[in-house]
Amino acid sequence: MKKLNFTPVLTGDKEAALREEVRTFLTEYGAFNVSNIIDSWSICDPELSRALAAKGWLGMTWPSEYGGGGRSYLERYVVIEELLAAGAPVGAHWVADRQSGPLLLRFGTEEQRQHFLPKIVKGECFFAIGMSEPNSGSDLASIKTRAEKVDGGWLINGSKIWTSWAHVCHQMITLCRTAPPSDNRHAGMSQLIIDLSQKGITVRPIITLAGEAHFNEIFFDDVFVPDNRLVGKVNEGWSQVVAELAFERSGPERFLSSYQLLEAAIKELRDANLTQQAEPVIGQFVARLMVLRQMSLSVANQLQEGKLPVNEASVVKDLGTSFEQELPEAMRLILATEPRLSAKGGVARLLSDSILKAPSFSLRGGTREILRGIIARGLGLR
Amino acid sequence: MNEVQQLIEESATRLFEDFSATNGHELMESGQLPAEQWADFLADGWLTTLLSEEEGGSGLGLAGGCMLMRLAGYHKVPLPVVESLMAVYLAAKSGIEYTDELIVPMIINELDNNQLDIKLYGVPWARHASSLLVVFSRDDKTQLSIIKSQDMTIKPGQNMAGEPRDDVMFEAAQLNNSRDLPDISIQQIESWLALSRAAQMAGALQRVLEMTVEFANERSQFGRPVGKFQAVQQQMAVLAEMTSASICAVDAAIDHLATEQEWELIAGAKITAGESAGYAAKTAHAVHAAIGFTQEYPLQLSTRRLWSWRDEYGNEAQWSAKLGQHCFDLKTDDLWSWLTTQTG
Repeated sequence: MKKLNFTPVLTGDKEAALREEVRTFLTEYGAFNVSNIIDSWSICDPELSRALAAKGWLGMTWPSEYGGGGRSYLERYVVIEELLAAGAPVGAHWVADRQSGPLLLRFGTEEQRQHFLPKIVKGECFFAIGMSEPNSGSDLASIKTRAEKVDGGWLINGSKIWTSWAHVCHQMITLCRTAPPSDNRHAGMSQLIIDLSQKGITVRPIITLAGEAHFNEIFFDDVFVPDNRLVGKVNEGWSQVVAELAFERSGPERFLSSYQLLEAAIKELRDANLTQQAEPVIGQFVARLMVLRQMSLSVANQLQEGKLPVNEASVVKDLGTSFEQELPEAMRLILATEPRLSAKGGVARLLSDSILKAPSFSLRGGTREILRGIIARGLGLR
Repeated sequence: MNEVQQLIEESATRLFEDFSATNGHELMESGQLPAEQWADFLADGWLTTLLSEEEGGSGLGLAGGCMLMRLAGYHKVPLPVVESLMAVYLAAKSGIEYTDELIVPMIINELDNNQLDIKLYGVPWARHASSLLVVFSRDDKTQLSIIKSQDMTIKPGQNMAGEPRDDVMFEAAQLNNSRDLPDISIQQIESWLALSRAAQMAGALQRVLEMTVEFANERSQFGRPVGKFQAVQQQMAVLAEMTSASICAVDAAIDHLATEQEWELIAGAKITAGESAGYAAKTAHAVHAAIGFTQEYPLQLSTRRLWSWRDEYGNEAQWSAKLGQHCFDLKTDDLWSWLTTQTG
């Protein structure tokens, strides 16, 4: 049984100053160009992304030789949690900053780093995740999209699905089969960077039940990818994907998706003089949030130390998404307001948005059942 | 953890492991103090380990003390470890005289005069104590006094784990030798006691998790270990999540001792440990099935403690209400800036 490590960490003066800097930026930036602020990291605003890039808040932890900020994971944590808590629509650059860049730093070639990282840092290059397929959701190893070796590169055929912002993003790191399936299900896959402006790519939008239009299905018909766009080693894509997960699953976006509702509910209850009944409920959720922040920050610190706490990241994501899903369920019972899709704002709209978006919280980035399977393996049960 | 703390942790572990081979639990549950074990605990000088070196201790402080309490919870030690450590810690802070006979702490909120007429409910280990360390606030000051056991009437009681939780009645008891506890509030002491239970709970949760994993890997049904069934794995993953959240919450609270955020993080720790206790006990018993429901099998020593401790020194609802009230007392929109003070 591998012990889970969540040694708490305290941030210092440097991080506190940075926090203030983000708050000042947000005040000066003014209202965001969005109709709602629930799950703001799935909302795309390239203009905001470029403004954040100008502040040096994209690729913060990356080496300066690639245009990165050379800052710590704790500093990055502070910046992203301030943006999320404010409901900033940070979706455009989110994937590139959170996992594509770190993946290239870990497994990419020098040419790939030189080519992509400075563009990501400037907010000029957005990345999409190319993992799920129409018949491969949780069972990622069953993907069918093929990359066939041809002279000077690879020919891609197949499709990916649930690809957020594929119609806005410039590149997609795509998990493909590069060898036929064998007894080792996890062998024979590779990650390739596909330029989404290439010939042979069709993007079809999928509207979510909440009425959002960020999802897509994306089709590849003999799409050519040059040799220098293979990430890491051929046929070892699976272990690279797993390494990505510690970055993908542990951040504050895994528990702050519906945070706006908590703030608004407290305000509403206070104004309506309904505080007394609500105190234990609010306190319970605040306590959970306090502990989740400590846990997520601990993982950020472990990433800083060069560790890959994949199991811990799964814990943060499972507890975190439970929190952000249960929050609207609890708030609706203490607020004297019915959720209303048509409301322009206020708790009626926040309730509606968070209830409608909540199912995705524990699906994206690895379902609850998959995460618990990973944790169970860490316990020595599998 | 520094080297001294590590040495102390190792020797406490050895001592507590030795206790588990004795009949301490039977003695305690039948109403007696496990005297031999208590004597061993005293002989090793543990009582004063929290105190500074000038006060004659090992300088562990409350933070290091919580590590001992977590171990005591892990090893389900049938002794008043937590109570005596806290009492001696408070006594030393006030400079009051005490011996190494057992004293246990008790809080009374407001006191007007020098005479105590009160019935206290569920005082831990009171029947075995030579005296009670009574903490109270008077004239806006926190004070404490040591009252000898002959000046009170004790009616024995037990919590669900069989630990002594006695009702204590004072009738015209005199507080003669009261001392000030400078710079410490009653609320702070209440939160320290809650933290001490939360620390024990973190240890007990870890123990329950380990026992359950071990059992799930050994016990076979339908031709394979029960831990191989997904339905079991999914529940045990949550058990591990809640256990690690509780440990993290307690560690974070320890890191925030003597800061402005102290009580907030302690509230978070007691709430998290309390919520986890119920889930852990439920899941551990489900996985162990009928054997875990017997007195003979040791799981109950941990789960009965968890069920008891989650209600002592404030349960989840009480601490949540306090935190919630604080959120409403904040100025509009200040929730986030308040939350972020907790990580520096």
